[in-house]
Amino acid sequence: MRAKDLMVPLVEHLKPGNTLKEAANLLRTARRGEERAGVKALPVLDDHNKLLGILSIGDILKAIYPSYMYLMDLGEFAWDGMVEAFAKKAADKTVGDLMSTAVITVNEDSTLMECVDHMLKNSVKRVPVLNKDNAVVGMLYEKDVFNEITRAMFNKETP
Amino acid sequence: MTLETVTRAEVFFLNLPFWIATAIFIAAYALIVSEKIHKTVVALFAAGLMLVLKVLEQNEAFHVEEFGVDWNVIILLISMMVIINLMRPTGAFEYIAIKSAKLGKGEPFRIMAIFAVVTAILSALLDNVTTVLLITPVTLLIADALDVDPVPYLISCAFASNIGGTATLIGDPPNIMIASKAQLSFMDFIYHLAPVVIVMMVVYIFVIKFIWGKKLVTREELKQRIMTMNENEAIKDPVMLTKSLVVLGIVLTGFIFHGMLHFQPATVALFGAALLLLLSGTHEPHHVLAEVEWPTIFFFMGLFIIVGGVVKVGLIKWMSLQILDLTQGNMFATSMVVMWFSAFASAIVDNIPYVATMNPLIVDMARQLWPDLSGVQLLQHPDLMPLWWSLALGACLGGNGSAIGASANVIVVGMSEKAGRRISFFKFMAYGMPIMIITVAISSVYVWLRYYVLGI
Repeated sequence: MRAKDLMVPLVEHLKPGNTLKEAANLLRTARRGEERAGVKALPVLDDHNKLLGILSIGDILKAIYPSYMYLMDLGEFAWDGMVEAFAKKAADKTVGDLMSTAVITVNEDSTLMECVDHMLKNSVKRVPVLNKDNAVVGMLYEKDVFNEITRAMFNKETP
Repeated sequence: MTLETVTRAEVFFLNLPFWIATAIFIAAYALIVSEKIHKTVVALFAAGLMLVLKVLEQNEAFHVEEFGVDWNVIILLISMMVIINLMRPTGAFEYIAIKSAKLGKGEPFRIMAIFAVVTAILSALLDNVTTVLLITPVTLLIADALDVDPVPYLISCAFASNIGGTATLIGDPPNIMIASKAQLSFMDFIYHLAPVVIVMMVVYIFVIKFIWGKKLVTREELKQRIMTMNENEAIKDPVMLTKSLVVLGIVLTGFIFHGMLHFQPATVALFGAALLLLLSGTHEPHHVLAEVEWPTIFFFMGLFIIVGGVVKVGLIKWMSLQILDLTQGNMFATSMVVMWFSAFASAIVDNIPYVATMNPLIVDMARQLWPDLSGVQLLQHPDLMPLWWSLALGACLGGNGSAIGASANVIVVGMSEKAGRRISFFKFMAYGMPIMIITVAISSVYVWLRYYVLGI
């Protein structure tokens, strides 16, 4: 079993010029395989399907979180409506400015253990899968690896 | 004197260590100003060169006060940082900032003025960088709550911290260095600098009122956001807070009386830091000690050694002779030259390397003027004192002149950029330069009136 056998082929992706509003909408409506709508992250690609970064729900939380709150314990002094006000301000920021650019990727021919290795060592729950030309062909999710592990536990004949 | 200068200068030109030390000194300062390499790396490497090339013996660099590391400054800085690091998690600073905003009743300018005063007072007791790091996050929160431009609040905080820090021995690194070199006490600084700093702060409040007073407006309902904040929620660890305040009280009392008790300031601070570490009951001093700004500390150590090298070879002496030549030994003129030159120099370069160089230069000047005196009699000669105060005032207040003039400014500009509001170099200077000139002008009048007219 290799990465390409278990990945979900790439359907939706973001472009660096997309606004956060557009990105949020796509994150809500994108489908992951047969499961219900909504994904937690999407790859950001250029026009040639080259990977530029990844935008996750966490990045969107960071986009509305003022940087000064990292520096001091000010949570108690936030007011009702603060998140909503910052969300309005952040709506037109672009994906390119907010995506994470240090992305952990795997190759489509990587073994499953190599994928697990990357996921655990870098604490990520999903990795973009690249083909030989470094174009993104799919996403490999922790959940699908878990399903494969379960299958192996119950089926002793899996090679 | 002119003839003597020439003959003495000629001796240096035949001397190889003179040229090695001078080259290292100039190259290091140029690299520090260019910011191409981190200043701490430059300072340490140049210090290493001074030793390897035998300009200084290691023993001189580490154990001789005149040529090497001033441990009084180093230990004082480290100790104060440890005390603040232990105090920070208690929430005391959040409490002070929120309380100040509420005192302002949600009025944007009133809050700005109160923040300026609080920042100045805190800067006088802590170092400026710490104060700015503690005040600006709350400032940004308050500006967001009131939906006003945060930039004026940030800039005015930086200015206030540089002005306030001028008032005391521990307020700004130049003062710590000057105090150690001239063996001045905490109360000397309070007595000679605090009065003029108070005058400057009053003028400063009027200046910011004039610049920003009318521009800052908010809506009534937003003021309620401030008034409903409960500052008591900021206090995270009341027990540790009490311990910290007790130790801070002991340290401040120690500073006030250190001259009388014949303790160096570093002794007082080191004792306070150790006492608070003990009281905190920590089994992992690792974290608290790791948070000391080691790059700054090593920057100081490197600079002391670099300057020690050029002191030893006579460059500093030669420079002091040039200045005396220029001012013809007129002490008032020398004071004014030192003050204004220090202000502009500190606006362009870091005031720490600047003062590290000026300190021995002033001592050398004193040796030229009073060759028979030594020790405290020389360092604190009544005619020399206005020079020390002029250096302190110029170097501290000069920090306001540009965005890179003081560490507090660099931090404020960085924070503002992170909050999405870039303050350009020239925008900062457009406010900073006039404020620097106003405060240095006030200082000039003060020095002239107090030391050359009234003579007190």
